[in-house]
Amino acid sequence: MKFLYQTVATIIGCFAVQYFLPWWTMAIIAFAFGYLFQNKGVVSFTSGFIGVGLLWFLVAYQIDAASHSILTEKINRIFPLNVFILTVIVGGLVGGFAALTGSLMNEKRVSKYY
Amino acid sequence: MKVKTLLSLVVTAALIYALNRSWNFGKPIPPLGKFLDPFHGFWKNAENKVPPVVTLKGLRNEVSIIYDSTLIPHIYAATEEDLFFAQGFVTASHRLWQMELQTHAAAGRVSEILGPATLDFDRGQRRLGMVYGAKNSLSEMEKDPVLKTVTEKYAEGINAYIASLDYERLPFEYKLLDYTPEPWTPLKSALLLKYMAKTLNLSEKDFEMTNALKLFGRETLELLYPDNEHVGDPIVDNPTGWKFSPVSLDSDSASAEALVKITPMEKSSPEIGSNNWAVAGSKTATGSPILCNDPHLELNLPSIWYIVHLSAPGYNSMGASLPGAPTVISGFNDSIAWGETNAQRDLVDWYKVQFEDNTKSKYLSDGNWRPTRKEIEKIDIKGKESFYDTVVYTHHGPVTYDESYHGKSEKNHFAFRWIAHDPSKELLAFYLLNKGKNHSDYLKALDNYSSPAQNFVFASTNGDIAMRIQGKYPVRRKDEGRFVLDGSKTSTEWRAFIPNEQNVMYKNPARGFVSSANQYPADDNYPYYITAEHYEAYRNRRINQRLSEMSKITPQDMMHLQADNYNLKAAENLPTWISMLDVSKLNTAEKKAYEKLKAWDFINSVDAEGASYFEAWTRVLVPMIWDEIDSARVTLPRPTYYTTFKLVREKPELNFFDITSTPEKETATDVVRKSFTAGVKMIEKWREDTKKEPMWADFKDSYIQHLARLEPLSYHVRHGGNGNIINAHSKRNGPSWRMVVSLEKSGVKAWGVYPGGQSGNPGSPFYHNMIDVWAADHYFNLHFNTAKNQSLPFSMISQTIKAK
Repeated sequence: MKFLYQTVATIIGCFAVQYFLPWWTMAIIAFAFGYLFQNKGVVSFTSGFIGVGLLWFLVAYQIDAASHSILTEKINRIFPLNVFILTVIVGGLVGGFAALTGSLMNEKRVSKYY
Repeated sequence: MKVKTLLSLVVTAALIYALNRSWNFGKPIPPLGKFLDPFHGFWKNAENKVPPVVTLKGLRNEVSIIYDSTLIPHIYAATEEDLFFAQGFVTASHRLWQMELQTHAAAGRVSEILGPATLDFDRGQRRLGMVYGAKNSLSEMEKDPVLKTVTEKYAEGINAYIASLDYERLPFEYKLLDYTPEPWTPLKSALLLKYMAKTLNLSEKDFEMTNALKLFGRETLELLYPDNEHVGDPIVDNPTGWKFSPVSLDSDSASAEALVKITPMEKSSPEIGSNNWAVAGSKTATGSPILCNDPHLELNLPSIWYIVHLSAPGYNSMGASLPGAPTVISGFNDSIAWGETNAQRDLVDWYKVQFEDNTKSKYLSDGNWRPTRKEIEKIDIKGKESFYDTVVYTHHGPVTYDESYHGKSEKNHFAFRWIAHDPSKELLAFYLLNKGKNHSDYLKALDNYSSPAQNFVFASTNGDIAMRIQGKYPVRRKDEGRFVLDGSKTSTEWRAFIPNEQNVMYKNPARGFVSSANQYPADDNYPYYITAEHYEAYRNRRINQRLSEMSKITPQDMMHLQADNYNLKAAENLPTWISMLDVSKLNTAEKKAYEKLKAWDFINSVDAEGASYFEAWTRVLVPMIWDEIDSARVTLPRPTYYTTFKLVREKPELNFFDITSTPEKETATDVVRKSFTAGVKMIEKWREDTKKEPMWADFKDSYIQHLARLEPLSYHVRHGGNGNIINAHSKRNGPSWRMVVSLEKSGVKAWGVYPGGQSGNPGSPFYHNMIDVWAADHYFNLHFNTAKNQSLPFSMISQTIKAK
């Protein structure tokens, strides 16, 4: 459940800051939610990756659909990899590592005493 | 902090850093994070939002812009200042990247964007004195109060657009190549015009001709490279019309005689040229003149042209503009229309310079050592250290070629004299044409025009038609300009210029039309010596023949003529070549080719296979004939197609027909046969490679290339035509703008099209929407009117620019 909360929070938070601010500000949001939700490293990474990756995919998809892929099909021939995949990987990796860093900085210590 | 926490933090930071900057691993990679971000990156360039209202500083009053369904802007301003501001703003909104790239190219600054591959090009531009020429023009423009305002307001408009940009709204190419635009200046407009001058008026073959004279002797030289091929009608045929006393020079023009070993820079394609004509009311269906223009240039995207309609009190013109220069260049207003073709004329000289010593501080001139001026050119290169080049200037101009540039084994130095280095103000000519009302306004406007020399066609609603070959022309002595000159004698220099009123021109000729297609300019009675790198021999004859035959001409007839695919070159030569073949010895493929060629009607239509066989044959035949010229140890000029094929017909025993690499001695018949075999093989190979029949459009494979040479942003086009055909569409060059204007008293009607689109943005549907229309030889109606409310019925988007 916490995984889902973190992912949704990341999507909403990143959408809000990215609307106004440069691309890398989404890393700060992904980091912050990684820190707050205290998920395990792998979970936090996945959440950050999916959160930012999905957000970037959806926004890109909306532009692509509205413009009938006019630019996407050209860029796909410039880059060796499909540009949607590339967009998701780039956004996802940064979001994932930022979320991982956040969770690692605020690891639950309690579990050790059980 | 734990190690793994630290590691994760470092990885995150490193990722952000790496994705926020560009890289070059053999291929340049944009900053991927920035570039792929769907909120601000390249994705945003697929949204083409034109804000309905913008507020800008620098305007006096509100300006309205109505974009019609072709994205042609109709700009309505209250003053001319606001009009040119808006022209700058609107043009930049759609073409900024191209405008900057072209002016960077003019100034020799491409390497700072594209890297070391273009260094030689950049050095060449610096050594041709492109910036030097542009600065000379700019200082002249600034002396004229009207031009100063026009160019400054235009620059302000562009800068207002640049100032409004953030990363999200940056044109696509800036994002891909990772740089940002710099402020526009009037110097950039001057540079753009010099770039056009370089494309159009730099053609010369002085080094090649010097070598040819030395190696072949005078008689052969005149046979292979005559000054005038005397083919077809000259542009102005007016033998009794030259009633003035010409300027004469008494001194001789001595030429340097040693062989020249430099490798000249790449020249403009001979396929660059143009057609224009105007027919008088006596020949048209409406009784009003019709004017047509189609300039043939290299076809690129974004297109060299941008259609605008400019309207302010006292000013109302429409047509093709050059992004980067204010006013309309080929167009019309409510009274007149005008258009240009290139005026072929030698406007370049090379002077052999003798320096006192290696420091190149002084050079010999009339027995004295004159000081040189040195310009240190810093060429920035993307991803590398800057390159410094010293360009030495003499009073002739820059020393372009020396031991460090294209002349490794050459011990001599050559200074470059070019008409486009002189102060000039051609923009004033265009400004005045845009406002012109009649023939005398046209003449007055053109008095301000120097370079690049053009054949200006004219027609007016009053019923006049006219042609004027306008440029600043040195008075030349016989042979002057054909060969390298001795730079140590001032007596060899340009001493005087032909007075404007003595330039080649006429009005309302008896034949009922005027036309030009880059042919020889004047009849033999014109009193000045004329020479050029080459003249076009075919298009003009076809145009004049058709215009003579036609009557009750409609604009549609004129559109058909612009799209005419009749191949006069083939019609004139193919029957002779075919008769030279030995039909009994042909193999199956050759037999088939022979049949196709015999059945061909000389029309280079999309599906004509005969046209492909003829083209392949020509491509092999010409180098086979001129093998001794192409393989010479010094650079030599190739004769024109016309002269080459005339020699095949008339002097089949000429020594040049011998192929030097074979022991036997060939004649014209032998090379025609051998080249036929090789040409058919070329087609067979093509057929195997492509698995297609050699239809002309497929074999020609015309290509419209993006200016950064990116294949995914470029287009292949199936279209007829070729060089030397009225529809002059070869593989890379062709009619870059087609315009037909009917000058009816009840209202001027006009049609136009070009192979591109009004938007320079590859993410816009208007990036290439005109290509197919153009290739189908169709046109767009150019909605011309006098008031904003007349534009509203066909408005697609409207924008208001408010003054801040």
